Amino acid sequence: MMKSLFCSTASALCLALAFSIGAASDASAAAKCIKGDRKAPFTIGWANIYSVPTWMKQTQGTIEAEVEELKKQGLVDKLVVTDAQGDANVQIQQIQSMIDSDVDAIILIAGSSTAPARVVADACAKGIAIINFDSLVDSEDVTAKVNTDSNQWGDQAAKFLINAIGGKGKILVLNGPAGISVSDDRRKGANAALAANPDVKILAETNTAYNVAPAQEAVTSLLFANPEIDGILSLGGALSAGAILALDKQGRPMVPITGENARQFLELWKEKGLTSWATMQPNWLGAFSTYIAVQALQGKDIPAFVKVPLPIIDNSNIDQYLAKAGDFPADGYIYSPYDHALFDKMLAEQ
Amino acid sequence: MSGATTPAEQAAPPLYWQVQRRRNGDLFGLFAVVVVFLAAYGFLFPGFFTLPGFAKFTQSWFPLALVAMAQAILMLTGGISLAIGAMVSLGAVIAATTMAGPLGVGGGTAVVALAGLGIGAATGLIVVKLRLPAIVVTLAGSFIVGGAALLILPRPGGAVPMWLSDMLAGNTPVAFLILVVIVVLWKIYLATPLGLAIYAAGENPVGAYRSGIRVDRVLVSAYAISGLLSACAGLFVAAQTGSGDPVIGTAFTLNSIAAAVLGGIGFLGGQGSMRGALAGSLLLSLMISVMFFLGFTPVAQYVAQGLIIIGAVAIPQFRRKR
Repeated sequence: MMKSLFCSTASALCLALAFSIGAASDASAAAKCIKGDRKAPFTIGWANIYSVPTWMKQTQGTIEAEVEELKKQGLVDKLVVTDAQGDANVQIQQIQSMIDSDVDAIILIAGSSTAPARVVADACAKGIAIINFDSLVDSEDVTAKVNTDSNQWGDQAAKFLINAIGGKGKILVLNGPAGISVSDDRRKGANAALAANPDVKILAETNTAYNVAPAQEAVTSLLFANPEIDGILSLGGALSAGAILALDKQGRPMVPITGENARQFLELWKEKGLTSWATMQPNWLGAFSTYIAVQALQGKDIPAFVKVPLPIIDNSNIDQYLAKAGDFPADGYIYSPYDHALFDKMLAEQ
Repeated sequence: MSGATTPAEQAAPPLYWQVQRRRNGDLFGLFAVVVVFLAAYGFLFPGFFTLPGFAKFTQSWFPLALVAMAQAILMLTGGISLAIGAMVSLGAVIAATTMAGPLGVGGGTAVVALAGLGIGAATGLIVVKLRLPAIVVTLAGSFIVGGAALLILPRPGGAVPMWLSDMLAGNTPVAFLILVVIVVLWKIYLATPLGLAIYAAGENPVGAYRSGIRVDRVLVSAYAISGLLSACAGLFVAAQTGSGDPVIGTAFTLNSIAAAVLGGIGFLGGQGSMRGALAGSLLLSLMISVMFFLGFTPVAQYVAQGLIIIGAVAIPQFRRKR
């Protein structure tokens, strides 16, 4: 009985595999979850986990702008927004409501990497396009996941800093909160480069929230303990701003610092004349996800994982970013420009 | 209802119904608001009246209903728990780490139940024997239990057998039936000496003690049941999501208190009823779905939530004045 069950399961699997290979070789294959029965104009659901942080507000801004753009083209007629206020259970209920109201696509930042998996699978089974970005859910039942590579983030930052201090010296490492996957992954990404350069000594590491004040406090106490510091490997934008403020308050010389596109960091970088490097988690991931959802609904094939290259800011192009600073909130992020041509290019490169 | 004015009933309705009527009277406003919201939800989303639609909605409500009951029991005794959310997380990670292993669903459920009962009873013993404030003991307990959940499962993961997920959180209202069974069990418990004494122990512990009620035992049982309900809510969340997350329960602490207070349960003990807490949790859950279908923006939802809660609590006050 067991054996025959096994055999039939195995043969069914083979059959399914054969079909999927056949489907994949078909040039006009639709993306995952798409059944082709949904017609424009589409209703887009944006299932946010928490709307208060500045990064989230800016990200929602790019989604709204993209929806306006797509409305003009007659592809989208409505954007439905929910905010789970940080509660993963509420997010599940809100995604369920989106399914009940039969939206055509769901754009998702997951509040938990596991919790939404089942409700997302339900949506996928109903032919709703699910585009998951930034904070990803551990499920294959989505149309596409869109994100930058946190490992690469850490790797590139470490390489820049090692290069900037001439391959040897004493550094501090500033991390985001412990136990958060983004923070873990960025730190892990830095390991290889650090191991390859044994002359670079890590004096101390910190774990703080991605905010200026706690980072400044942590770096201040480390500066008292370490009179000689050659560089700071900061793995978050607000952390870098905190580090510069700490150095400045104590009258210490500025050292190379890595970081993110936080407006405050970029402005301090320019003001203090640093040699620095920054990358970003672009806010337009929201707009890009919206664009991908509509592409998928129109029957275009979309890869299961859309890897977004990390834009780099260094001393050669920081002025371009600062020139636009006034368009962004004081505690916000100055993201790189984007348009549909860029989106098409990134999709083509996958 | 019109029969209420017949002389016979006016003369001597049995004590039981007098008590029930008084309890319902205080909740008139809340019940009215819940009924309006249920009607609105059914109108906005006709799929609510299909079996899967009803099942999915009650599944969203179910864990909140359990934690509202868990909190209500303690508040009726004059206590409170700030560890409910952590207990939900612990229940979820135990379920997600044991059920796919050799223990199976039965063993895993037993471990979850024992953990809930045991931790609940231990909390109760500390509160009762050491005479410490419940709010402090359970705040400390929330750190210990939350930490234990993170030790068992440092990152979201684990698994719950698919058939269990499909049974509890599929297209059939199994969760709702379980809730009905739990409510019936609660009614039966209220008829036992331990249950009967909950109100007495909450409203006037010294008086209850002098009339021969073993107040300590009543309180420890209440804490144990509260722990059991919270851990079971965690088990359900694990089944609903198919896996465990060590911080999934965090929001339940505040929501359980909100549901209980909305349901007319007082902080001082002995006031309110379980049906109030259940209605309160139902309203909190309904609001999320109804406001979605009304197309409220998130900011408008914050404001509306506050207004609805004040309205539900204020209506009985207007009635009383009249």
